[in-house]
Parts: sequence; structure tokens; C-alpha cells
Amino acid sequence: MKTANNAPYGTMPPSLFSRDRLSFELGTVLLSTLALIVLCMIFAPSSITSGALAGSLPFAAVAVIVSLGQMLVVQQGGFDLSVPGAISLAVVISTHYPAGNDAELLPAVLLALTFALGAGLFNGILIGVVRLNAIVATIGTNALLYGGVIAISGGVPRTTTPLLSRIAGGEFLGLGYTVWYALAIVLLVSIVLKKTVAGRRYEGIGANPAMARTVGLRVRSYEISAYVSAQLLYCLAGILLAGLTSQPTAFLGNSYLLPSVAIVVLGGTSLMGGRGFPVPTALAAFFLTQLGQFSITIGVPFSAQTIIQALALGLGIAIYSFRRN
Amino acid sequence: MTLTSRKIAFAATTALTLAATAAFAEDVPPWCGPESATLALLDGSGGNSWRQITSASAREEAEKCPSITDFFYADGQGDTQKSISDIKSFAARGVDAMVVFGDAGPAVLPALTAAHRAGVTVVPYRQQVGGEEGVNYAKFVSASFVSDGVNFGNFIKREFPDGAKMLFLSGPAGNSVGLEMLEGLNSVLDERYEYLNPAPFHVTNWDPALTQQVLTAEIAKHPQIDVIISDYGASLIGGLPAFERNGRSIPAITTESVNLLGCFWQDKQANNPDFKLLTRGGGNENGRLAAQWAIALATGGTPPETSVYTSEIFEDSVTGDPSEVQCRRDLPGEIYLSAKLSPEKQLEAINQ
Repeated sequence: MKTANNAPYGTMPPSLFSRDRLSFELGTVLLSTLALIVLCMIFAPSSITSGALAGSLPFAAVAVIVSLGQMLVVQQGGFDLSVPGAISLAVVISTHYPAGNDAELLPAVLLALTFALGAGLFNGILIGVVRLNAIVATIGTNALLYGGVIAISGGVPRTTTPLLSRIAGGEFLGLGYTVWYALAIVLLVSIVLKKTVAGRRYEGIGANPAMARTVGLRVRSYEISAYVSAQLLYCLAGILLAGLTSQPTAFLGNSYLLPSVAIVVLGGTSLMGGRGFPVPTALAAFFLTQLGQFSITIGVPFSAQTIIQALALGLGIAIYSFRRN
Repeated sequence: MTLTSRKIAFAATTALTLAATAAFAEDVPPWCGPESATLALLDGSGGNSWRQITSASAREEAEKCPSITDFFYADGQGDTQKSISDIKSFAARGVDAMVVFGDAGPAVLPALTAAHRAGVTVVPYRQQVGGEEGVNYAKFVSASFVSDGVNFGNFIKREFPDGAKMLFLSGPAGNSVGLEMLEGLNSVLDERYEYLNPAPFHVTNWDPALTQQVLTAEIAKHPQIDVIISDYGASLIGGLPAFERNGRSIPAITTESVNLLGCFWQDKQANNPDFKLLTRGGGNENGRLAAQWAIALATGGTPPETSVYTSEIFEDSVTGDPSEVQCRRDLPGEIYLSAKLSPEKQLEAINQ
């Protein structure tokens, strides 16, 4: 039987920023982010100017949305490796079908969401009902989704429509729309997870599925809902990404798989499942993106950029492991 | 029929045949020999518009040669195993010639060598696969990006005679396109021209999202960027508005031509006085040169003079020579107006 990673189900205060252990996760990410900002101020002041942030925050926002999807799956003790295919399919559908025509954008977005729903159900049934291993099942789904990418477009997305470009790239109160969307999604996920009965059950099932089954909760439905919600979030991220890059490629999702897992871990969610931490996860996404901007700005070679990110991730995991043990 | 009328009929037939042969000879390019052959075009990773237009160009070239009786195409979809099995299966099916874009590099060399030994005319192109001509394959048709670097360098020197601060972006770390281009740039530019990026170039993996993040960071860091050098123009566009957000003009850019970029320049040049644009052709004709070589060797034609493809300057926004910046708003952004393949055929190729 899987054991709960941290607080057992039923003892946690249902609060968005609860007082006891949650503060540790939030505190860790907050401190790391503040430390990074201080480092940026000293060594790479230009990376935190408003101009630089206006450029990098929308990408951080996309990473936030993707990571929240991954977090929901990880909470159920799963793993979603179909992130690249899901994002790329959304990018391709939302650019290929409209082919620059704004009027076709809405049907294309609806089509992308339908595909996401289908892929989520497929993953959910394979893992929740057929009881396939999550890693194996989602690798398979990823290949299927990429099959869809190639079948629909021959691997060629088109130029973003002007409307999508405005929807993703516009600004409100100095922040890109994408950032606002991400904030709204963080809030929504936090409220649903922490403040609703369904959300509490969701976390409880993730922490201890056997116990949840014993008390009569519909474990399978919740597991399936994790994969469906995740796919919908990836789809949304893909559509926004298509809007942010004027001429996307068919494989834009590839660069989000590992970061999505890294962000979830940095955000404090245990890979064994259980409680999720939407706010720290969102902060961790900003942290990882800003770390990338920091290493580009201080002008280190690409190899060193990769090493810096790996070190940050290793340190994050070490802190949580140390704490849990 | 009398003898005279027979003679006339014979003379007329001969004349017609000769005229037809002459007309045929005029239409048939010298690289197309008399022996009939089949041709396969094998792409390692055909999933982008550039590849599909390049493949369609190679196909159009093959259609000029009546000796080519059949034309096949296979896409490795970025999968090395599939690329290898494509090469093997076409060799087993007995095609006479194959033009191969070996994305996987030396990993496909054993399969190419086996096909070569089985008597297939193997012509890898553009991507280095290792090996030797005559031993592992018939001919390697390369592309030189050094000349692009030289062209770009000369433009920079002309526009910034006293030196410039430059940002150079290319694809994955260590890719030969970027390194060759740098060699060309350095052969023209002296120490007054300073690179703002880490040596040898900013790694972007040709990923528009990463390119945008790199540009954002660099624009914020450097108050003065005179010129941006890139080998993939379309990926820059998402990042360039950051200049305007910071109240600066988009700087001079040297890169690869694509319809989207041309239209972007036309939209932005009025408000961005420093936005000068020099583009090279899209390089789609590299596929044609490779097809010519394969067909010449397989049908007994005369091979082209060179096996190294170099692209020419396509647009220069300052001199208008060889062309002003072009934009066709009725066509999708990913069309290459520099390609010989007509825009309509390009559309057909990317819509398959």
C-alpha cells in the first residue's frame, strides 16, 4: 500500500495558505525565488527590468499552466509523459485550421479542447480502470498525439492568427494577458483543491487511495479526472504558446516535459502523490524561468545554463527529501 | 504507293523524328541522361514547411527528366530507426537512385553504404553523414554556409563601417550551420565588430519560444544592439516587438528570407528607422542540386559543375538589389518567395 507523503488525509486545515506544513513548501520556494531575485539584482540587473519581465513572464505563465496539469496527475501518484504531444497538438490545431483566418479560430480552439478531452479520458481509463502503469500509458498516448500532429498538419503549423496573437500577447495593467490567465488558473485550482469537498477528496485519494476506496470514495473517477484536467490545461498552454510565438513549430511541446516535472517537485508536491501545492508550483515555474533568463543574461555558455538549472533542481529535491526524512 | 511517294514519306518521317529529337534535346537538361531510372527522396525529418518545399523542389527537378520513370518519397519523421529502415527498404525494392537528407548524421551511414554496395546511386545532401565518396555513397552534395556568413558580414560592414555590436543566434549547440556562418562572418569582420552573445552563438535550438526568451534577455541587457544575425528568420519575429516596448528601434537584421519576415518588415519599417533587412535565399534549391546529381549519375547524364550549394542574397532593404523586401499577404507566412518553386506549388506541398 502506498503511504501518504506528508500529512494524512483529514488532518489538514482546508486553507489556501494553511498554517503548518504547507508554509514550509511555500516558504522554501519563496525564499529561493527571493534569493534568485537578489542574485539577479547583483549579477544580472537587466533580467529583472520591466522590459525583460514583460518578455519572459508570458513564458513563465505557460510553464505555470503546464505544471499545474502535471501537478494534478502527480497528486494521484501518476506521471504524465504525454505533455509534449498534448501541447504540440494544441499548437498545431490552433494554427493549422484557421490558417491566419480569425473567424476560424474559435472552432479550432474548440476542436483542440475536444482532442484534449479525448486524450485525457484515454489516459484516465488506461491508468484508472485498466490499471496500466502511468509512465507506460502516457508514453503511448504521447506517441498517439504526435501521430495526430503529423496527420493533421504534416508537421507544419501555420502562422498564428492576428486574433490569437492579441489574445495571448496583449497587456493589461503592464502584465501580459497570459500572465493573468495563469493567475486565474492558479486561483481556480487552489480554490477547487483546498476549498471544495471534491478537492479535499481528490487530495485524500492521492494520499491514500486504498483508504479512500475503503471509505467509499470513487477513486477511479477522481483518477480519470486528474488526467482529463491535466490535458485541458496542456491544451490551454499550447494555444497560448501558439499565440505568443508568431510562427510556431510542430514540436514546441518538447521543451516542457522535464521542466513540468521539475517545477512540480520544486513546488513541493511529492512524486508519491498526495497534497498538491498550486501556489508554490506557480512560484517554482517563475523561479525556473527566471533562472533561465538569469543564466542567459550573465552570458554563460549554453552548457553551463543547463548545469545551473540541473543544480537548482537537485538542490530543491534535496531540501524536500531532507525535510521528509 | 510509288517509289517517289515512299521516299517522300520516309523523308517526312525522318524529318519529323529529327525535329522531335531536337525539341526533346532542348527541353531535357544535360544532367538527364538516356538510361531510365527510378528515384527515391528520403527525408530524415520532413515535418516542417522548409523540408516539404525543398522536397517538392527536388521532385519538380526530377520531373524535368523523362528518363526518371518513377519517383518515391519517404519521411523518417525524426526517427533514426525509421530513416534507416526507409533507406534499406528502398534499396531492397530496387530503386536506382536515392537522394537522402540524413538528419541522423553518421547513424545512417551503414545503411547508405549497404545501398551503395548494392548498386544504388546514393546521394546524401546538406547534412554531413561522414564516410567517403565512392566508398560509402556516390556523391555528397553539401551546402556552404560560409558564403552566407561572408554576405552577412559584408552587409554589416557596409551599414556599420566603424564597427557594430552584434547578436548572433543559431540552432542547437555545435550545429554546423552556425559554425560555418561564423567562419564566414569572421573572415570579413575585424575586432571593431563585437559579438554580444556567448561564443560561438546563442543556442536557440531553432525553437521560436527559446529564441524569444534569449532575445528578451539580451534586449534588456544591452542598451545598444546594432545588428542581429540569425539563420532562421521566422523565429525572431515573436521577440522583436520587445525593442518597441523598450522605446527602441528594431535593429538591422541579417537572416534567412521567408514571407512572414518580409511582411513583418513592411509593417514595422516606418516606425523603426534602424530596421534594415538583408536576407539570403531559403536554400530550397539545395534539394534540386542533389536531385540533379543523383539523376545524372543514375541515367548517364552530365553532372552539374559543383556539388556545393551556396545560397544567394535575396533581399536588401537598403539598396533594393537584388530585390526589395517582398511580401505576399495573400499567401501564408511560411512560403519562401525566394524559392524557384511557384508559391502555388509550395502551398500544395505544405498542405499535403
